[in-house]
Amino acid sequence: MDTHQVESPDMSMTTRRRLIASLLAGGAVIAAAPLFAGQASAAEAGGPPQRDPADNEALNSSLERESRMVATYRKAIVGLTENDLIAMTLILDHHVAYAQALTGYLAVDVVNPSSAPLASPAGSVASIARQLATLEDQTATIHTNIIGTIKGIDAAMLLASIVTVETRHAAALELIAGSSPIAAIGN
Amino acid sequence: MKKTSTSSAISRRTMLRSSGALAATTAVLAACSSTRPSVARIGESPTTVKLEEVAVTDVILLRTAMSMEIMAAAMLSDSAVTAIASKDTAPVIAAFAAGHTSQLEDLRVLISARNGEAYTETNAKLMQAYGQTALDLVASGKLATDTLPLTLAIETLIASTYQYFVSLATEPAVRADLVRLGGRSSRRAAITAQLINGGTGGFAPANDKDGVALVATLPSAFGSLSTVQVQLGPVNEVGSRTTVLMDTPSLNSLIY
Repeated sequence: MDTHQVESPDMSMTTRRRLIASLLAGGAVIAAAPLFAGQASAAEAGGPPQRDPADNEALNSSLERESRMVATYRKAIVGLTENDLIAMTLILDHHVAYAQALTGYLAVDVVNPSSAPLASPAGSVASIARQLATLEDQTATIHTNIIGTIKGIDAAMLLASIVTVETRHAAALELIAGSSPIAAIGN
Repeated sequence: MKKTSTSSAISRRTMLRSSGALAATTAVLAACSSTRPSVARIGESPTTVKLEEVAVTDVILLRTAMSMEIMAAAMLSDSAVTAIASKDTAPVIAAFAAGHTSQLEDLRVLISARNGEAYTETNAKLMQAYGQTALDLVASGKLATDTLPLTLAIETLIASTYQYFVSLATEPAVRADLVRLGGRSSRRAAITAQLINGGTGGFAPANDKDGVALVATLPSAFGSLSTVQVQLGPVNEVGSRTTVLMDTPSLNSLIY
C-alpha cells in the first residue's frame, strides 16, 4: 500500500502569522498610496467636519422647537375647513418632516424633546395665520442662530434647507393674515 | 511503503506570500507613476499648462453672492420687465430689486471683515448662460404675465444659491449669515407665488382643470437645490413657450 505523506520542514519560513502580516502590510501600503502620489486633498484633510458630536446639544434644541411647532399646528388646525385646513395641514406635515429628519440625524443622541405647544392659535384664519407667522419667524431665527454655532456641515445643510422653507411659511402666513406684499417682505 | 514528498519550491504558502508582496509593490509603483501620456507622438506637441488649484474660500462665496445679488437687481429693474409690469406688481418688483441692492452692503461688510475685496459686477457667466436669455424672451413676448414668473424664478434661484453655499462655507458664522440673506429671498419667492396664485388654496402643489401644474407657494418641505425652470416669451407656432433653466453658481461661475 502506497501512502502519501506531506513533508513539512522542521521550521517553516512562511508561517500563517507572517503571511497575514505581509498581507496587512500590503494593504497599508495600498491605503497610503494616494499620499505618496501627492494627490490627497488638502481641503478634505483640513476642512470642516461632516458631523461633530459637540453639535448634538444645539441640534436637540432645534428638534425640540420642531416638536413643539408640530404640537402647535395640531391645535391650530382644529376647526379649520377646506383650503385653510389643507394649507395648515401641509405646513404641519413639513414640521413633522423636520422633526423626523433631526431625529434621524441625531439617532441615539436624541434627548426626548418636549412636545408642548408653543401657543394655542384660535379665532379667524387671519388671526391664526398671524400667530403662526410669528412662530415661524422665531423658529427660523432659532435654527439660523444654531447654524452659526455648529461645526458639522451635514447638520448645517439640513437646518439651512429647513430655514429656506420656514421663511416661506412665515411670509405666506403673513399675507393670509392680511399684510401687504411689501410689508410681508420683512427686513 | 513508498514515501512521496510534496515539499516543492513552489508551495501554496510561497505563492500567497509572493502575491502579497507583488500587490504591495504594484501599489507603490502605481502611486509613484507619472501621469504623462505614454502614447508616441509625431511632430510638435502643444504644451499643456495646468490650471492653478484654487480653494473655494468664504470670501469667494461672499463675492459670488454679491455678483448674484447684482444680477438679480439688474434683471428685476431691467426695462424689459419694468415696461410691462402691471401697476399692482411694479412696486413689489421694484421693492424686491431694492432689497437685493441693500443686501450688497451686508455682503460688503462680511467680505471686508475677512480682508477680502468686494465685487461690484454682475455674474457675467450666469448672465450669459440664462439671465440675458430670460430678459430677451420677456422683451420679445411683451406679456405682463411674464414678470411675476420671472421674479419668482430669480428669488428662488437666489435663495437656493445661499442654501447651497452653506455646504461650501467653512466658518459657522458665515453659514448663518448666508442663511439669513437667503431667507429674505425665500420670503420674496413666497410673496411672488401668492401674487400669482393667492390664498391658502395656493399653498400646496396642485393642477388646474386641464392638468397643468399651478404655482405653489410651498412646493416642497425642504429647500430645493434643483434647477429653477420658468416659461417665458411669446408662444411659438406649436403653442409652447421657451423654458429657461437657471442653475446655482458652480465652480466655473464663482467669483475668485
